[in-house]
Amino acid sequence: MPSSTTDHASRRVIGARAALIWGVIATVLVTVASVGVFLVAPEDADQGAIQRIFYFHVAIALVSLVAFAVACVAGILFLRTRKLRWDDVSVTAVRIGILFSVLVIITGSIWAKASWGTWWVWADPRLVTYLIVVLIYAAYFVLRSSVDDDRRLRFSAIYAVVGFVSVPLSFYSVRVAQSFVHPVVFTSGGANMPNSMLIWFLISLAAMLALFIALLEVELVGRRTERALRALTLRLESS
Amino acid sequence: MSTAVNRPRWTRQLAGLIRKDLRLELRTKETVVAMVLFAIVTLTIMQFGFGTRDDDLTRFTGGLMWVTLAFTAVLGVGRSYVAEREQRVLDGILVSPVPRIVLLAAKAIAIVIYMTITELVVIPVVGIFFVKGPYWDSIGWIALVALIANVCIALSGTLFSGLALFTRARDLILPVLFLPALVPVIIAGAGATHAVVGGPHDMSEYRGYCLFLVGYAILFLLVCIATYDAVFDD
Repeated sequence: MPSSTTDHASRRVIGARAALIWGVIATVLVTVASVGVFLVAPEDADQGAIQRIFYFHVAIALVSLVAFAVACVAGILFLRTRKLRWDDVSVTAVRIGILFSVLVIITGSIWAKASWGTWWVWADPRLVTYLIVVLIYAAYFVLRSSVDDDRRLRFSAIYAVVGFVSVPLSFYSVRVAQSFVHPVVFTSGGANMPNSMLIWFLISLAAMLALFIALLEVELVGRRTERALRALTLRLESS
Repeated sequence: MSTAVNRPRWTRQLAGLIRKDLRLELRTKETVVAMVLFAIVTLTIMQFGFGTRDDDLTRFTGGLMWVTLAFTAVLGVGRSYVAEREQRVLDGILVSPVPRIVLLAAKAIAIVIYMTITELVVIPVVGIFFVKGPYWDSIGWIALVALIANVCIALSGTLFSGLALFTRARDLILPVLFLPALVPVIIAGAGATHAVVGGPHDMSEYRGYCLFLVGYAILFLLVCIATYDAVFDD
């Protein structure tokens, strides 16, 4: 096979182009969202400038749940097919989900300090839920690093499923246990904000979603490249 | 005669596996005795941990009881596969025609029994140690929520102990996996207990927590059914 064809084929397998496209989309959307949130969106009459953190805080929170859902689905697909790529997707999604959940806690904590004068509020069910979620998914990596070979992939997939089931349970248990101090943004009647704010929230949400996909793609490219390199090294050593 | 005819029914397999666990426990008395002692020691430490010599900790009854039971559950769940692991019994069970789900059910039932025996001691001791006021009238309600929570603990615990069984530093891994998943059970158990002791005596709140625990048990049962085969899929 000519070398240019091989390069093209390997690039396609590794998927660098998708990562690049999503990287560009995420960069554009995050820039637009940042400009819109800080310069265009109207200031909240009650909370003032600090309310602007909401656009990223809630968007990151929702996307972290998407990440854990992706990890769960990829885990199920791995258990059914035993294909390595699903393990790659699952572990990468959990990693990004944890990163986003930690960001939810940090932004939520900053918001709590500005609104209620304290960094941590146990009466805020969402903040507490995310703390539990981070603890649940941190254990994923402890488990993953303490088993080897085939079991590592299998157990990680099982835990990705169990972890995702634990998320709504944690959320609901914390919610029923405490009075609400957290502002409720979305009710069954729709979004609890004017359209001039809603549009920037939706752009922020799209930006965070694109950022998640871009990070996922970049990490997957890294993992595939590493695997391809390992295979190439083995082939060269055996020849 | 076909193999299918020779294979015992799943109910007999289940009864056999439970009998094995209970017989081992009756002979050695290692797990339940250790769980009960551990729970009493933890309750004693709790009293001093508050930094007060106040006799009346009625307000905190739910928390004291359920934190103690959660840590005790970790101890009991961690012991659940010890006999199989040490004497390679597990290999024998895995090569025998016992469905994995029967193995799960047997382990879960054994954990429910261990937890129930522990609670038979812990629930009265909590009343004696910490509660000044009406407690014994509500003991039936506390026992009921404890029984439902035991099923939750047993199902999630059996799954996590199965995972931890094959890990390095398994004794450390199990609490790290198990306790975060147990947080909703602690919240609901403590909430339900607080609703009937030291709290508002609000039965609708109590019912809400119990229903939540039933939902937790159903969800974990489904997850166990879906994934338990994969735990031992070697």
